[in-house]
Amino acid sequence: MEKLTARAEPSLAKLNFNLEHFMNLQKLPVLRITIVAFALGLLTLSSGRPETAQAGTSAKDLAASLSAVREGAAYVRLRLEVKQPADTIKISLQLQVKERRTRTATDLIYQVLWPKERKGESVLLHKSGDGPSTGWLFIPPDKLRSLSASQMSDAMFGSDLSYEDVIENFFGWENQTIVGTEVLNRVNCVILESKPDKSGNSSYAKVRSWIDFRRVVPLRVEKYLPSGQLARRIDTTRVASDDKGRSIPADLTVRSSREDSVTDLDGSRIRHDVAYTDREFTPKDLPEISAPPSAPE
Amino acid sequence: MTFFTVVARGLIRRPVRTGLTVLGISVGIAAVVALVGISRGFSKSWETGMKARGTDVVISNMGSSLIPKPFSASVIDRIAHLPHVAATCGILVDLISVENAQMIMVSAREWGGFSWNNLKLISGRMPHDATEPAVLLGRTAANVLNKKVGDKIQIETGELSVIGIVDGNAWVENGSIILALPLFQEITGNLGKINIVDLRVNPSTSAKDVQRLCEQINSLVPEGRAVVAGEHITDSEAYRMAQAMSWGTSLLAVLVGVLGVMNTMLMTVFERTQEICILLALGWKRGRIIRMVLWESAMLGLLGGVAGVLIGSVGVRILGRTPSIRGLLEPDLSTGLLAVSVAIAVAVGVVSGLYPAWRSSRLVPSRALQS
Repeated sequence: MEKLTARAEPSLAKLNFNLEHFMNLQKLPVLRITIVAFALGLLTLSSGRPETAQAGTSAKDLAASLSAVREGAAYVRLRLEVKQPADTIKISLQLQVKERRTRTATDLIYQVLWPKERKGESVLLHKSGDGPSTGWLFIPPDKLRSLSASQMSDAMFGSDLSYEDVIENFFGWENQTIVGTEVLNRVNCVILESKPDKSGNSSYAKVRSWIDFRRVVPLRVEKYLPSGQLARRIDTTRVASDDKGRSIPADLTVRSSREDSVTDLDGSRIRHDVAYTDREFTPKDLPEISAPPSAPE
Repeated sequence: MTFFTVVARGLIRRPVRTGLTVLGISVGIAAVVALVGISRGFSKSWETGMKARGTDVVISNMGSSLIPKPFSASVIDRIAHLPHVAATCGILVDLISVENAQMIMVSAREWGGFSWNNLKLISGRMPHDATEPAVLLGRTAANVLNKKVGDKIQIETGELSVIGIVDGNAWVENGSIILALPLFQEITGNLGKINIVDLRVNPSTSAKDVQRLCEQINSLVPEGRAVVAGEHITDSEAYRMAQAMSWGTSLLAVLVGVLGVMNTMLMTVFERTQEICILLALGWKRGRIIRMVLWESAMLGLLGGVAGVLIGSVGVRILGRTPSIRGLLEPDLSTGLLAVSVAIAVAVGVVSGLYPAWRSSRLVPSRALQS
């Protein structure tokens, strides 16, 4: 799960229009011309924005570029809030995430830093190639147990995300198709449909992603069960630039089939190219909460 | 009946329309007050913070972020010996989510550096040394985090003790968590890194020499940029963009106000054609008719401006208490900004009234007989 730093998006003032005034404006030729000119100006400005993804990009290329953004070693700090019902905070956690992703393998550690009573709860997940995901769960002071394949769809830290959701890279699946386009929150998106191979390692039958074509960022992800039921919807609520200047989802809202439950993930920091050792991604080191290794000077 | 009675009656005649027009302008002016006040407040609170720390020059790399990019602490060795440099202090500043607070400033300072000197203890004590796992909280930060001396605080991977509450004589300082640099470098995995160097010059240094020193540092330290304290924020891309967006959004809101006033005044002129023609027949000069319309629209602007300043000031204070920005911003609602906002509103009124005034001046007394 990609997350991020900077916070500085100023909000636009919302202006109320008086209908009677507006109707009166229509009667006046000078003002009508002004409004049309203003509207044309806005249209001209909006059509002049650069596109980064090319119009002819295939589904596989698009998925590959989304997958490539996630590759490498990174350290992420985020805050996770579970709201049940949707306006009451039930769980609030500060997390650190250490991840190492290549095209063929992924290692992930999620660790709770706060609150004190849950500090140290950690999850270690590993996935190699098309094989099943494996994992370990540590609950302080000393409970360390492995996660079976069937437990991969369990909720992680009581949130609306499962272990499978954080380890699985559906952009890396073989079967990718563009099934349409849609404007989502005034952003032109292509809808990418990803289907897993027949190995049966995913509990999802398909995943649909609404990709902002300009920034190449998923703005919505919907995961469907083999029954066709929508299992999870993940909406990107803030996009920010990472330490490499790339656009990535910074804040996410996750809704699962659990009634009245919403999980918010707010990213506060991401650092790429972190030099992790293999030892850090072992169950033995899971109880240890350590800072990411320093970047070389 | 005086000239101004005629002007006032023109506005009072249609109270709902006048009220809605005033509301339209006030929304625009409230946007000016709130958005510009917040962005100015941000830079002003940094400037005050720098002055409180006794910093004359700041070396940082702001780029497009509000938090400077980290660089090696060895930069200090390259500049400490330069002429006019009295003292330096390496700092690692970050804006992070701590416990329940969404965003809070953490300011880690070189142990023994002059940037500690401005902190006045309200309660507790100062750290014993650079390695003590302890923090000081600015008084606003203590309030936001709901912490007191003796409490524990989780900052990134470190659990630290709150050993003192301090007053730093500036909003930025009071809203910060303050700790020793090596401690923060360790718990964030930033060993040997800082992102700000506070520099103090000798008291006798002239402004010209300070400028020359900045140029000298800039040639020696390509990873950062030296600017006179306070200017490093206004110099950043992010601040300039926020400032431009504040003014841009405000001006759009004001434009809507202009259209509203113009519409109201045109309607007034159309409705009062007979009255204006009679006034002309009674001997009123065209200039006086123009003045009457302009005074009316200026009055609308003035009322909208005053209402907008009130709405903006109250709104920005409410905004400042929201959990996400509590302790981070001190809006600059200076008399100057409020006066400029009212002046903009009056100017909006006058400009909006020009076309209706011109239309009214073209009426002829005989039109009174036609209606």
